Amino acid sequence: MILGIETSCDETAVALVTQDGEVRSNVVASQAELHARYGGVVPEVASRRHLELVGPVLSEALERGKATLDEVEAVAVTRGPGLIGALLVGLSAAKALAWSRRLPLIPVDHLHGHVASLYLEPGALEPPFLCLLVSGGHTLLLDVRARSGYHVVGTTLDDAAGEAFDKGARLLGLGYPGGAALDRKARDGDPDAYSFPVARVPGFDFSFSGLKTALLYVVRDLPADELERRRADLAASYQHAIVRALVERTRAAAMELGGQPIAVVGGVGANSELRAALADATLAPLPLCTDNAVMIASAARYAPAIPFPQYLALDAYATAA
Amino acid sequence: MLILALDTATDVATVALARDDEVLGERASRAVRVLEDVEVLMGEADLRAADLEGIAVGTGPGSYTGLRMGLITARTLAISLGVPVAGVSTLDALAAGAPGATPVVDAKRREVFTLVESEPHCLAAADLEVEPGRAYVGDGAVRYRDLIEERGGVVPPDDAGEHVPWARHHARLARDFGPGEATDPIYLRAPDAERALRR
Repeated sequence: MILGIETSCDETAVALVTQDGEVRSNVVASQAELHARYGGVVPEVASRRHLELVGPVLSEALERGKATLDEVEAVAVTRGPGLIGALLVGLSAAKALAWSRRLPLIPVDHLHGHVASLYLEPGALEPPFLCLLVSGGHTLLLDVRARSGYHVVGTTLDDAAGEAFDKGARLLGLGYPGGAALDRKARDGDPDAYSFPVARVPGFDFSFSGLKTALLYVVRDLPADELERRRADLAASYQHAIVRALVERTRAAAMELGGQPIAVVGGVGANSELRAALADATLAPLPLCTDNAVMIASAARYAPAIPFPQYLALDAYATAA
Repeated sequence: MLILALDTATDVATVALARDDEVLGERASRAVRVLEDVEVLMGEADLRAADLEGIAVGTGPGSYTGLRMGLITARTLAISLGVPVAGVSTLDALAAGAPGATPVVDAKRREVFTLVESEPHCLAAADLEVEPGRAYVGDGAVRYRDLIEERGGVVPPDDAGEHVPWARHHARLARDFGPGEATDPIYLRAPDAERALRR
């Protein structure tokens, strides 16, 4: 059994997953409420909370999995990318846990983790497939040929899709976290009410910064009462533009790669319009779209384990190498 | 009682292994490598993690990231090994290593952490009250050597051992062992975002 730990952003998570990919427990303590009053994740606030939560979350993961630490055969942990101070809390906990029980440690890349949310039983996805990874920090098209890795075929040139959702929600006064709020508001609006431009960039890359600027101009030029009346239409049109850009690029890339099946992972993968637009694709289960430790333990099944005690000087990394 | 002591609140992270009043070994490196030093000490003493009976950990004040690494290490070891934890302030450990001296830890942004009437405080370096003839130790004393010496204080040479919060002192000062989760960090400053919100 693998125990996974994830603390790369504002979720403190611990999970137990078997070597066969069966989830034994999945505990996620979200700090979203804590960060809401700042309008975004504050690294120092997140790190302080991780320190408080890792122990209780670990105990709860064991309890819910009806397991003891004696059954844990390896410790998996997110090494990066993410907030460095937050990552170091999880990494230090993982090292202490592995060292004290003479276990191997498996450092996992957070993005590989998201893809590995598709490798769990029942119904584990078999490569090859084209994976759209969409979250607050990343927008990637990945050519996945084996469970141990992937090849990046497209990325965002500026904002991540999740960032575009958060910024749009802020402009529309929908609060934080913005993605889910904007999704809810969009359901009452007309997606064709406004035409927002989707940047055309070469290859399979994305660009969302122009979209946010376009929304800013529309919002700025609307009288307050008119803005109130058109909020749902604006949300729906803005969301539609993001989803259309994601879907068009993803389908084009899948075609280019010889008609590969499509899969979607990451926080924006929870968006209802995106899920409907890619209904034929393999979609990560909703609870595993946002950050969690199940995906980290899952990825560890396909990543090299560092034997005891060779991992004791291991450092975290903030950005992808 | 076999105690593992560690302090990662300053740039020089220290670890010590002690049985009752006897120090079995002590090492220094950086926060991210602290367990590597622990493993070396345990090997030299021919001991294993399972032999530990208590953890003493530096609770700062100091670098927030470093401090958390030590605390989460101590708390996780406590859960894994079923042993209690005792927190010792980094300033108290520094003071124990240099009797008669005032400990000063660099708090960055022209501020220092120091003891005022035995209590930890964060204050502007310029506001440090220096007693002529008195010794000042710690990385904050080294950083503000000119200021302290100008006001008549004494700061040992930069490479003097007194500037490091050696973990042997944590092992000796550790009292009231209890659950790891009850050992809290001494931050002394709210996060910037929170202070901005209050304005």
